[in-house]
Amino acid sequence: MMSTPKTLLGTAAVIALMALLPFAGVGGYVLGLMTSALYFGVFAMGWDLLFGFAGEVNFGPSFLIGVGAYTAGLLNHYAHWPIIACVPVGALAAVVAGLLLAVPALRLSGPYFGLVTLVAVLLLQNVIVIFAGFTGGEIGLDLPDVLAISSRVNYWYALGVAGIVALGLFALSRSAVGLILQASGQDAIEAAALGFNVVRHKLAAFCISALVSGLAGAMLVFYLGTVSTDSVVDISIGVQVIIAAVLGGRRTILGGAVGAIFLIVAGELLRPVGQLSTFIVSAFALLVILFFPGGLLGRFIVREGA
Amino acid sequence: MKALQILIDGFAISSLYATGAIGFTLIFGVSGVLNLSHGSIMVTAAVVAWLVAGSFGAGPYGGALIGVGASVIVSLVTYGIVVRPIQKSRAIAREEKEIFVLTGTLLWGIMVQEVIAYVFTNNPKTVLPLIGGVVNILGVRTPRTEIAIAAIAWLAMGLLWLLVNRTRGGKALMAAAINPRGLTLCGFELGSIHLLVWTIYGVLAGIAGVLLGSFLGVSSDNAGQLTASAFSIVVLGGLGSVTGSLVAAYVVGYLESLTAYLVNPSIRTVPVLLLLVIVVYLRPQGLLGRR
Amino acid sequence: MKRKYWMLPATAAFATLAFNSAQAAPPIKIGVIAEASSVSGASIPKAAQLAADEINAEGGVLGRKIEIVTYDDHNSATDAVRAFQRAAREDKVSFVIASYISEVVLALEPWSARLHMPMITPGAASDEISHNIYKDYNHMKYVFHGYFPSTFIADSVCDAAKDLLVDEHHMKTAVVMSEDAAWTLPLDAEYLKCLPKIGLKVVDHIRVSPDTTDFTPIFNKIEGEKPDVIITGISHVGVQPTVQWAAQHVPIPMFGVSSQATTSTFWKDTNGATNGVVFQTAASAGVPVTPKTNPFSDNYEKKFGATPSYAGYTSYDDVYMIADAIKAAGGTNPDKLVTAMEKTDYVGTIGRYVFNGKTSPFTHTFKVGKGYITGIVVQWQDGKQVPIWPANVAKAKMTFPSFVKLPQ
Repeated sequence: MMSTPKTLLGTAAVIALMALLPFAGVGGYVLGLMTSALYFGVFAMGWDLLFGFAGEVNFGPSFLIGVGAYTAGLLNHYAHWPIIACVPVGALAAVVAGLLLAVPALRLSGPYFGLVTLVAVLLLQNVIVIFAGFTGGEIGLDLPDVLAISSRVNYWYALGVAGIVALGLFALSRSAVGLILQASGQDAIEAAALGFNVVRHKLAAFCISALVSGLAGAMLVFYLGTVSTDSVVDISIGVQVIIAAVLGGRRTILGGAVGAIFLIVAGELLRPVGQLSTFIVSAFALLVILFFPGGLLGRFIVREGA
Repeated sequence: MKALQILIDGFAISSLYATGAIGFTLIFGVSGVLNLSHGSIMVTAAVVAWLVAGSFGAGPYGGALIGVGASVIVSLVTYGIVVRPIQKSRAIAREEKEIFVLTGTLLWGIMVQEVIAYVFTNNPKTVLPLIGGVVNILGVRTPRTEIAIAAIAWLAMGLLWLLVNRTRGGKALMAAAINPRGLTLCGFELGSIHLLVWTIYGVLAGIAGVLLGSFLGVSSDNAGQLTASAFSIVVLGGLGSVTGSLVAAYVVGYLESLTAYLVNPSIRTVPVLLLLVIVVYLRPQGLLGRR
Repeated sequence: MKRKYWMLPATAAFATLAFNSAQAAPPIKIGVIAEASSVSGASIPKAAQLAADEINAEGGVLGRKIEIVTYDDHNSATDAVRAFQRAAREDKVSFVIASYISEVVLALEPWSARLHMPMITPGAASDEISHNIYKDYNHMKYVFHGYFPSTFIADSVCDAAKDLLVDEHHMKTAVVMSEDAAWTLPLDAEYLKCLPKIGLKVVDHIRVSPDTTDFTPIFNKIEGEKPDVIITGISHVGVQPTVQWAAQHVPIPMFGVSSQATTSTFWKDTNGATNGVVFQTAASAGVPVTPKTNPFSDNYEKKFGATPSYAGYTSYDDVYMIADAIKAAGGTNPDKLVTAMEKTDYVGTIGRYVFNGKTSPFTHTFKVGKGYITGIVVQWQDGKQVPIWPANVAKAKMTFPSFVKLPQ
C-alpha cells in the first residue's frame, strides 16, 4: 500500500530505470516489443481514466485511437506533413471525434453507452473500408516517414510518451477532479446533489482519454510505418486495451501500463505454442478477474477516498 | 420480382437473427447478464454440427442435434465457470458485477473461438443442409433449406412461447425476469431458474448457429460479429423484451437485405448501425423496452 | 549441383572447415511468417519444414542444418511486423518467407529494407510488391516476389478462358467478381483489359467486401445481368460464395481465381458445393508440372493429411532456392544472398524459377511464360481436383453441375 506522492516518486524512478534499459544490454527486439507495449499501455491508461474513475464502459477505445492514427497517417501520406505536425493534429482530431461521440452519448448509461461506443468503432471501420481508394481500406496505407529506425530511439519516444501520460493521469486521478470523477462514477445522483457538474467532469475525462489515445495512436503508426485497420481500429485492439486495463487493475491508472506490458511479453513468451497463445493469455486474464478482481496492481495502490 | 426476393431472403435471415437474439435477451431479463460469448457459442454449434454430420457420418439431422447439444453444454459451462462465480464473488462490488460479467464472458468467448480456430482452422464451415434442392416461388428460385430455416426458427420460438406461458417453470422464469426477490419469497429456487434459462438459451443459440452454418456457412472469425449483431438487435428492441427483440430482428434483417439488394452489399450493416445510434439517442429504452 | 560449388576454391575451403565442425556448427535459420489458422497460410510453414527436413537429411547447407522458425501473424500486419523484427533481431534468421496476404507483405517490405533482411513471399500477388522494389531498388532489393503478380494471374485466366470458354462454349459475356483487397486491384484492371480482347464482353464489375457472408444479393444482381460466366478473384472469401452458389443453383459457371479451392479440404469444407468450380493456380496435386510436383504433394499429404494450398508449393521451393543461394553466397551475408538469389535458375514444383532483374518493373518477380512458370487451370469434379488446361496437362474436359446453364 502506497500513498500518492510515494507512488508518483516510485513511478518516476521506474521510468528512469526503464530509460536505461538499452544500456543494460537489452536487445533491439525486446526494445521493439516494449515500444508497442508502452503505446498499448497509454491506451489502457486512457481507458482506465474513463472507466475506472468516470464509471463509463467505453467499448470503443479503438475509435479514438483510430481517428488519431488515421488523421496523422493520411496527413503524412497525402500532404507530406512532417511527423511533428501530424502527431498533435491526430491527437486533436481524436479529441474532436471524442467530443462528437461523447456529448450525446454521455446522456446514456451502462450498456447503452457501451453499445454506442462499439457502434462508433464499427462505423469508423466501415467508413475506412468504403473509402478504400483514399484510406487504403483493409489494405492499409504505407507512410513515407517513420519516427526512427533505431529501436533504442523508438523505445525512448514511447517511454517518454507513456511516462508523461502515466504521471499526468495518475496525479490527475488523485486530485480533487479525480475524486469528483470517482464519485460521479459510483453514484452520479449523489455527486450531482453535492453540487458537482457530473456530465462536465465526465466529458473532461472523455476528452483527456481521447487526447492520450489519439496521441499514442498517431505515434504508433509512425513507429510501425503503416496505418491499417487491424493495427489501430479493429475491435480486437479495443478488446486488448480493455483486457490490459482490467488485468492491471482498475482505478489504478498505472495498472493499464503494467497490464499492457504483461500482455505483450506473455504473448511473446508463448510464441512457441503458436496459435494457442491468445487462448492462454485470455484464460489467464479470466482467472485474474475471477480470483483477483483488483488486478495485478490492485493490492499495491491504495484507493484513497474509496 | 426483386421485391419478392428481398421479402423471402429477408424473412429467412430475420428468423435466424430472432432465434439467436431471443435467448440473449432472455438471459438479460432474468439475470441482467449480457453474454458476450454469444457468437462463440453459435459458432461452436455450427462447427460441431459440421464435424459430426460430415466426418462422423451422422447425417444432417444427427449433426444438427449434436451441434445444439454442444451449444447447451458450452452455455451451461459459461454460466457455471464464468458468470456464476462473478455473481457470487464477494471481492467484486455489486455495481461492478456488470462490467466484470461483460469482460469475463468476452474473454471466455475469445477462448472458445481460439480453440475452434486451432482445431478446425478459421476457414468457414458449411453444415449439411437439412434438405437440398430449390423450389420456385412465383419466379424466385429459393433453396428449400431457406424455407426449412424459417420454419425451424419459428417452431423453436413457438415452443419457447408455449414453455413460458403454459408451464410452471416457464411462468417462474418470466416472474424472475420481473422480480427475482419476490420469486424467492414464493419458494422458488433461483439457481434452478438460472440453469433453466441458460439451457433454453443454449438451445436457441445452438439452433441459430446450426441454421446459420447451413445457410451461409460460419467461421470462428464471425464470433465477434455475431455477438455484436445480437447485442444491437437486443438493444434496438429494448433490453430484456422478448417481443421487442423479435420485432428488432426483423427490422435489422430487412434493413440489411434492402441495403444489400438495392444499394450495395458491402455496406449492408451501415444503415443498421446508424438506426441503432438514432434509436439509442432518441429512445434509449429501445423500440419496445419497459425501462 | 554440389560438385560445382566444391570446385570453387573459397567455398571448398569453407566447406572443409564446415565439415570439420559439422557437429558444432550452428544451424542456419529461416523465419516463416504466416497465419496458421487459415487454410492457405497453414501450408506455408508445413511445406517449408518439409523442405528443410529433406535438405537436412542430405547433410544440410555448408555443413549446417537448416532450422525453420515459425511465427503466427494472425493475419495482422502489426503482428507480422513484430514477428519480422523478432526474426531479424532476436532469432537472427538469415532469410524470411512471409505470408500469402499482399497487405501483410506490403507492410513488411519497408522493414526488410530497413533491417537488410532478405525476404520472399510465397503467395502474395499484388503487383505493388515488385513495383516497390523497382522504384527503389537500392533499398528494397532484399525483397523477392515468389508468386505470380496479379496481372499475370489475370492474363493466365484470360488465356485459359479463350480456349475453354470462348472457343469451346462460345461464351460472349462475363461479370468480374472480386474481393476488395490489394491483390485484386491489378488483377481486375488486367481482367477488364484482357477479357474483351479474347471476346468476352464484361457486362459488370463487382467488388465484394471480404467480410461478406451473404452472397445472395450479389449472385442475384449478377444473374439479372445474364452473363455467360462469372470470372472470379477471391482468396479471403471462398467457402461462403461457393456454397451459396451451389445452394441457390446459380446457373452461371464460376471461373478464375479461388485460392481456398486449391487445397483438398475445400471439398469437405463446402460439402461438395465446389463441384464444377474452375480455378487458376501454379501447381496442383496429381498434376506433374515438373518431376518434383507429385513427390512433394504426396509427401505433404502423407505427413499432414491434406494436400498443400497453392502457397505450400512455392514455400517448399523457396526453402530450396534459399539453401542454394546460401551455398552460392558461401554464407548468409544479406547482400551476397540477394546477389545469389538474383542468379537463381531452379526447377521447383511449379516450374523453372528465374527472377526478373532491376530493369523490369516486376523486379525480383519470377519470370512467367513458356519455359519458366505457367499457370494451370483445375476444376473440382466429383471430389477431385482435375487439371483441364493447358492441353498438355489436361486430364478431363470441363463439365458443370446440372444447374449451370451453358450458352447453346
